[in-house]
This record gives sequence, C-alpha cells and structure tokens, in this order.
Amino acid sequence: MLFVELIVKGLVYGCMYAMMAVGLTLVYGLLRILHIAHAGVFALGAYMVVTVANATGSLAAGFLVALVVSALAGMAIYRLAYQPILGHPPFVPMVVSIGLFIVMQEAFRMIFGAYGIAFDTNPWYVATISPGGITFNYVEIAMVIASVVLLLGFGLFAGLTRAGIAWRATVTDPQMATSFGVDPVRVRYLNFMFGSALAGIAGGLVGLLNNYVEPTMGGLVSYKALAIIVLGGLGSVRGTLIASLILGVVESFGTIYLADVFDRDAIGFLFLIVVLMVRPQGLLGRK
Amino acid sequence: MQKKFIAAAAMAGILFAGSASAQIKIGFHAPQSGPAAADGKSSTIGAEIARDWINEKGGVNGQKIELVIYDDQNKPDQSVPIANKLIGQDKVVAAVSGSYSGPTHAAATVFQNAHIPYISAYGVHPDITKEGNWAFRGVQLGQPQGKGAAKFIADKFGKTAKVAMITMNNDFGQSIADGFKEEAPKLGLTIVKEYTFGLGERQFGPIVASVKADAPDVIYAIGYYFVGGPLVAQVRSGGLKQPIVAAQAFDSMKLMEIAKDAAEGIYIVGGMDRGRTTPADFQPFLAEFKKRAGYDAEAVAANCYSSVMLMADAMKRAGSTDPAKVREALAATKNFPMLTGPLGYFNSVGELYSPLEVTQVKNGQFVGVTVIDDQSILAPPK
Amino acid sequence: MSAYIASLVSVIGINMILALGLNIISGFCGQVSLGHAAFYGIGAYTAAYLCKLGVPLPLTLLAGTIMAGAIGIVVGLTSLRVRDDFLAVTTMGIGFVFLGFVRKQKWLGGELGISGIPGSGLDPVVYAGLILLFAAAVIVFSLWLKRSWMGFTFDAVADDEDAARTVGVNVSTYKLTAFGIGTALAGLAGGLYIYFARIILPDTFDFVQSIAILTMVVIGGTGSVWGVVAATIGLTLLPEVSRAAADYRLLIFGAMLMLVMRFSPGGLAGLATMLKRRKAAPKEVP
Repeated sequence: MLFVELIVKGLVYGCMYAMMAVGLTLVYGLLRILHIAHAGVFALGAYMVVTVANATGSLAAGFLVALVVSALAGMAIYRLAYQPILGHPPFVPMVVSIGLFIVMQEAFRMIFGAYGIAFDTNPWYVATISPGGITFNYVEIAMVIASVVLLLGFGLFAGLTRAGIAWRATVTDPQMATSFGVDPVRVRYLNFMFGSALAGIAGGLVGLLNNYVEPTMGGLVSYKALAIIVLGGLGSVRGTLIASLILGVVESFGTIYLADVFDRDAIGFLFLIVVLMVRPQGLLGRK
Repeated sequence: MQKKFIAAAAMAGILFAGSASAQIKIGFHAPQSGPAAADGKSSTIGAEIARDWINEKGGVNGQKIELVIYDDQNKPDQSVPIANKLIGQDKVVAAVSGSYSGPTHAAATVFQNAHIPYISAYGVHPDITKEGNWAFRGVQLGQPQGKGAAKFIADKFGKTAKVAMITMNNDFGQSIADGFKEEAPKLGLTIVKEYTFGLGERQFGPIVASVKADAPDVIYAIGYYFVGGPLVAQVRSGGLKQPIVAAQAFDSMKLMEIAKDAAEGIYIVGGMDRGRTTPADFQPFLAEFKKRAGYDAEAVAANCYSSVMLMADAMKRAGSTDPAKVREALAATKNFPMLTGPLGYFNSVGELYSPLEVTQVKNGQFVGVTVIDDQSILAPPK
Repeated sequence: MSAYIASLVSVIGINMILALGLNIISGFCGQVSLGHAAFYGIGAYTAAYLCKLGVPLPLTLLAGTIMAGAIGIVVGLTSLRVRDDFLAVTTMGIGFVFLGFVRKQKWLGGELGISGIPGSGLDPVVYAGLILLFAAAVIVFSLWLKRSWMGFTFDAVADDEDAARTVGVNVSTYKLTAFGIGTALAGLAGGLYIYFARIILPDTFDFVQSIAILTMVVIGGTGSVWGVVAATIGLTLLPEVSRAAADYRLLIFGAMLMLVMRFSPGGLAGLATMLKRRKAAPKEVP
C-alpha cells in the first residue's frame, strides 16, 4: 500500500515539475537558452494569485491575473533581456538569466516582504478525498487536472493549428521555417507567452498547495526543472514530460528510503548524472 | 594592490565614520539581504527596541548605547571582516550576533582573540561558545531542547509512546534531533523512524504516507515555522490524527496563518506563551515589535532583544564598559529575565540554563501548557 | 595592515584563487561549470578533516588541492561525454550531489559541518599575506598558462572543438587537464578558507556560491586574467562600501550581472578593449 501511495504522490509532484519544465524546454528548444529566470515567473504567478485572491476573495480572479501577468512578463523578458543578446555564446544569456532571477527574487522580497504571504482562505487545501484509500487534498487534484488540460491543450495546438505547426517548424529548422514565411519573432513571443503562463499557473497552484508564497519559492523547483529538461533530452517536450513524472516518483521513494545517506534535493541530480553517463543525450534526446 | 585596499578601506571609513564618542558601542550583525533576510529583519528590530528602551531610561552608567549594525548575508566570509571592523574601526566594547550559526561561529573566534564579550542570540551550533570564555549564548542549545521534548512526550503521552521524527536538515534540526535521540530511549520512548527534509522543502506527501504506515503515537517535528506550516497542514489533510509536538522554531504567528486550523493543538517545546505577563517588558515588547515590524514577534526577535538587554545589564553590574569586567559580569549573571524565560545561570563555557516553556496552539494563540525546569535534563552541555 | 584589512585581503585572495581556477575551465577551455563551489567544498572538507587529526597546514592544503583536482578530473570525464548546456546542468548537479552527500555524513559533521578548526598558528596579518602570495602565484601561473602552447590549445578547444580535433589536438586530454587544474585551485582555496573561518558548514558551498564565483569570472571577462582579478577585488569590496545600502545589494548585484552581459559580454576586459579601440578610432578618421 505504501508503495502505491508513494508512486501516486510522486506522480502528483511530477505534474508540478512538468508544468515548470515544459516552459523551460520550450525556451531551450527555440533559443538554446537555459532560462533560469523562469523560476522568477513561477513566483510572480504565485504572488499574483495570493495578492489578488486575498484582496478580492476570488481565486478565479487571482489565477486570471496570474495568467495574464506571467504571460506578459515572459514576453517582456524575451524582448528586454534575451532578444538583444541572441547572437552571443550560450553562457551570456544564461548569466543574464541568473541576474534576472536574482533581481526578481529581491524585488519580490522588497515589494511583498521578506516573510511569505499565506492565503486568507484556502478551502481546497484542507478538503480531501480518499479514492482507494489514498488521501488527496483538492489542490493536488487541481494540480493534476490543470497540468493535464494545459499540456494536452498545448499538444493539440502544436499538432493541429497553423500557429502550432509554424511553431514546430521553427523549432526544428528556424531558417527553413522563415523561408516558408513563418515569422520567427512571433513564434518566440508565443513561446514565452505560453511557457510563462504555464509557470505562473504552476506557481499559483504551488502557492495554494503550500498555502504560502515566498520570494525564494521558485529556486529549488527550477533547479530541479533544469535537471529534468536535460534528463528529457534538451528541447524534447515529450522527454521532459516523462522525465518530470519519473523524477517525481524517484524523489518520492528517495525521501523515504535514501534519506539516511543522501539528501532529497540532490536525488534528481544524482539520477541525472547516472543517466547522462549511460545516455549523454538524455532519455529521449537525439544525438 | 595594497594601495587599492587601503584606499577602499579609507573610503569605507569616511562613509561610515562613527558619530558621538560619548556612547557605548555594541556591535550587531545579522543577515539583512538574501534568503535569510526575514530572520535578520526580525532580529535587528528586536535589538533596536532594546537599544531604544535602554536609552529612554537613561542609558547605561549615564551613557547612551549605540548599536553598530552590519549585514553579514549569513556568510562566514562576511562576518569575519565585520567582526574585525567592529573591533578595529568601530571600537565596540561588546557585540551581539543576530545571525545564524555559520557567521556567528566564525565571528566568535575573532571576538575571542580580541577579548570582546559576545552573545549569540539565536545561533545554536554547539561549538560557538567552545572557542573560549568570551562567547555566550542567549538561547537554549539544541541538545537540551531535544531532551526537554523527549521528557515532555514521555510525561504527557506515556513512557512507552512510539514517536515518528520529522527533522529539518540543518544545524538547528540536527542538534535538537541529537538531543532527542539521546534522551528518548532512556525514558522508554521508541523512535519508529526519523524522516528528514531540506529547508526548501514544502511537499511532504511521501513522508506523510510513510508516517501513516508507521502508525506512531506522537509526531515530533523539528523545523522552522515556514516549513512547519505546510508540514502540519499536510499531516492533517493526509488523515493523521496523532498529536504533534514541535520544536521552538515553530513559534511564529505565521504558523497559524499558513496551517490555519491544522495548527490547532500542536505543542511547542520552547515556545512563548503569548498571554503571559512576566517579565514586565514582555507584553510591551510584543506590542512595540508589531508596531515597528507590521507583523508579530517570534522567538528570534525576543532573543535578540533579550541579548542586548543582557549585555547592557552586565555593563551596569560591572559599573564599567571595560570588556574584561563586562565579561565577568556576564558570566556571573543570575536569574536574568529573558523574554523567552528566566536565564538561571551561565555554565563554564557560556551556555545558559533556562527552563523550557511548553505551549499549545489554542484558538490560534500560543497558550502555556507547562514549564520543564529540570536540571538533570536541561543542564547545558559543556 | 589592520586586522580588518587583513580579513578583507584574505577573502579577496581566496575568491581570486577560486575565480581564476574557474577561469581556466570556463575561460581558457570554454567548458561551462556551474558547480565550482563543490570543489571549493571538497578542498575545505579534506583540509578540515585532516587538520582536526593534527595534520600540519602545508599538508592539509596539499591534500585539499589534490583531492579536489582528482575528483575534478573524474567530473571532467563527464565533459567528454556531454557538451555545452548539458555540461552546465551536469556541473550544477555535481554541486547539489556534493551537498546532498556531505549533509548526511556523520563523520563529516553532517549539518553541523566541521568546527573548532585550530588556527593557522600564524598572525592573521601574516596569514593574509600567505593567501595573497598564493593568489599572486595563481595569477602568474594563469598568465603563463594563457601564453604557453597549452593556452593556445585550450583556446582552440574553446573555439571549435571539432576543428581542434581535426588538426590533431587530443581534446580529451586538454579538457581533463583544464578541469584538473581549475578544480585543484578551488581545493587550494578551500584549504586556505578553513584556517580563516575556522568553521565549515555544508551551506557555505552551495549553488549560490558557485554562481558568485561564476559572476566574478564573467564580469571580469571570461578568459581575461586581469579582468577576473579586477572583478574579484571589486565584487568582494562591494559589500564593504555598500553596507549602508544592504537592502538593495543583491538587487544591484543581479542588475549589474544583466547589464554587463547586455552591453559588454566580454566583461570588464571586453569593456577595456572596446574603450581602447574607440580611443584609437578617431585618429584614423580625421
């Protein structure tokens, strides 16, 4: 029973990682940037949800604002931080991204206070259902539903719509896509918009799940998300999804059975290093 | 290169030249930027309240006290230059640390060598006071806290209770857990399993699931309130009904904000009964802190306030600001009213003896349950 | 030299050795590393462990250096397997794995780290001088390395690995050498650090520390020895002169990182070259 429960709980956290990691993968697939500041967008989303929900009493309004603000923030990050330096070697945008993350984290601390903010009312957080003897609170359920719906929606978008096909074409071969009339700049905005909106929503959900929103909340999740996208084979969305779920489960077991010898936060990276030794291109990456 | 250093130092000297010299200078360092800034802010406000109240009442031996405050970013490589600067340039006669163990320990060796009395207000690393006899501690060590928790659990829930430990991975967590693990078997308690988690952890699903399988009688949780809040909420929403006993750092009104109803009934060993009227400055402090900070005071702030008060008290008793005499007076402290509980005495290495207050969350307030005042358990280690 | 200046000099010297070590890996050889603090930690833990056993200072420093360098070479092996961004995340992972391991080792003090480390036996001012001496030696070594044939080969590997391989450069050996030297220097810095701080805790060697070292390198200008030296001094003294603005320090730090990369990806060194060129330019066009 414990085994089943650990697997299920691991999958729930895997969904959380997936929402975070897919945005990173999208940015990486398109621009070859390790977008560490994604963690800042995640926290931004959480702050939007908690401040709006506490002010208006409406969680829906909070998530709506978070969706819009984080999508806009993502596009602004692309325009202001990355676009001017696209031609430079990869470490340049990476360092910019680190700088931006530090700036965002400190800005949250100054604006919203060094102490975190809790939701005034958070009914989902204590309401539970127990299908099959495993207890979930409603936020966990919402997390799973949100990630499945959003990621499935994205899959349909990428597979079926014109803009989606343009996006895929640009990722595969930017030059070819451009010569077929795809505007690569629009694709990039779209990319940042979608990825950041996902991160913002994930941030809001994690804020609800912890009932606590704090300036540094994005850090650890995004470091793990970086490990995930490498595990998945940089740039592969499918690989990222699989790696997210695997990491969730591996961590879940590691927390219980490895705790005496190894810290949980390092499990993901240990796993990553082991996998890379065997498959340098990641789980689903192409050589 | 030498010139550059001197120029930079000179510049720093000009920018931060001390003011009136008729004041008693006490050094203070705390993390004011970066991830540890939240506690740094509370600790600084606590110390400042002490300074202001001392000065309002005429200061110490007719002189006002001045706090020279620096940001150590919670880094030893920052606190060592700061300690040297406090000693060499600011000419402080005493110092208080409002910081965590790493920077406090590193600075303690500097103050030791310079023979300046130094109080660690809440850094709990056991070795901070071991460098020599100039460092004192304004807070109970982790080890007696853990032992006290074992005693409380044995008294309250029976000597054969089975306990699941959930411990935070840092010096605070480990030292309390060590004390608990040492004492619990002696009292007959069984530790079914110890789980650990990192400071950044907020998701305890796997731990909750596993604790459920262990079916302990009591859950002993060691962590800060911001991990404690999500932890107890998830323990309760995971369907576990066992009583939760928690360590001192759960003591923050934020705990109730985060965990809401799930916080009800938690016991905190080493907490502060918010309704108590002793010592006389306790309630005024809570009110003043709330006014200045905009949020409620927790143990960190109270410890820093009391440590500055204690230092000033030692100066009064010494009738002098001569560091050697202040040190002697500090070492001779008896029954000083700290906000967290009366300080009985300092042992030979500068660790304090203080009874341990146990509180319980009732209707969203910390209410006193009992006080453990047992020399055989709480005597500070040497 | 007052004790205050001596402690600043010590911190600058240690940071300089760290940054110049990373500069050999990332600047000279072009291998991005986000886990340099782990090797700093390996050196510090090795030295501290031995020091507590009574081993004298020269030997603890040597052991720390060798241990870090040896593990560095093993990690360097991964750089042969994975490239660029994979390597960046892998090295970041090495940092987390190191911490995750050390935290749980009772014999290394676990979360309480190693404390009560005996002093160096030297006066703090003399010890600062010793650190400075090591830092100076690392500067000279870096300059020499950059000009030597090895430096040119590093350059070639950094610029275009495949091309270097085609012209017969044994890329693997050079990468491993760069990793070995760079991480060994981090180990040396770790050894020097323990006699300065007299306590080490796992968190001292975390990801933030790795980023701090990386920052010194990129702001100075990856690959430029003098640029890195200047950036290390500047960034280490920044908190000293900006203590009043403590609240904004990290914010300014982050913004600086962004602005430098945005307007001068070559860091201070790049900026200096740019200014030189601008000065020279008007002469050509009368």
